[in-house]
Amino acid sequence: MIDKQPTERESLEIITSMINRTKDRYMLGDGNILLIWGYLTVAVTALVWILLALTHNNAVNWLWFLIWIVGGLATIRITRKHDIRKGMKSYSDKLVSRLWTAAGCSGFAMTALCLGFAFSGIDSWSAMFVFALIVIPLAEIAQGIIIDERSFIFGGFTGLAIGFFTVCCIAGHIVLYANWYLPLFIIAFVCMMVIPGHILNYKARHQK
Amino acid sequence: MKELDPLLHSQLRLAIMSILMNVDEADFVYLKEKTESTAGNLSVQIDKLSSTGYITVEKGFVGKKTRTVCRITERGQDAFRNYVETLKQYLNL
Repeated sequence: MIDKQPTERESLEIITSMINRTKDRYMLGDGNILLIWGYLTVAVTALVWILLALTHNNAVNWLWFLIWIVGGLATIRITRKHDIRKGMKSYSDKLVSRLWTAAGCSGFAMTALCLGFAFSGIDSWSAMFVFALIVIPLAEIAQGIIIDERSFIFGGFTGLAIGFFTVCCIAGHIVLYANWYLPLFIIAFVCMMVIPGHILNYKARHQK
Repeated sequence: MKELDPLLHSQLRLAIMSILMNVDEADFVYLKEKTESTAGNLSVQIDKLSSTGYITVEKGFVGKKTRTVCRITERGQDAFRNYVETLKQYLNL
């Protein structure tokens, strides 16, 4: 394109053409952040579950912090690379990014609160399951609505259903034993993050 | 009939503004690819739009390479909307 004065008709064509060229499309790697958090949560949960079964030592629960540390660092790195490769940020990218920032901040606040309780001798860590299976699924459903991706909505609702079940268990004083609750937690994250992440990458690879 | 904004009534500047109206931000490489323009020409037109206050330009570094990110301003959005309205009158749309 050169710097030439267009006719009125040409102006209209330029505007239409540019709008079409900037249409939001999936890009390969769009699902990677979801896959990292999904697989990481599944791996750490499985590790905690196995170690609890083998050692019966509650100290292995500190391993949960690996999710925050590894996931947080990976997210910063992947997001930066992805933004540069994409070359632009759409309004929906901005909205989704703010949504997950809000979810992440509330997660840190919740963790800090649970740590505070722990140092006071009160075990409130089951509240983190509620966070993981209420706040995260809600954010995912919202993202699914924004980017019009059904797998996010279905995955989010599956996680949310398990979250509601968790809340009912806690309210009903049912102990969340590792041998049945952790497998359920793994299923929730596979449905919420692993499957939608792969679907998104598949769509990016096969879109015309 | 109102006159078309001379700053927007140019192929490349109009293309840049149309893209920036549709996205939150776009970098130089993206704009160059979508407008199919040369780096030199694109750079001149970005400077013109920026000096009028229609867009903001942020220069940063990614590793050792520079990355120029452009965003449309409110003034730029108003100018673009007015341009489209005037264009509609010209074309009897």
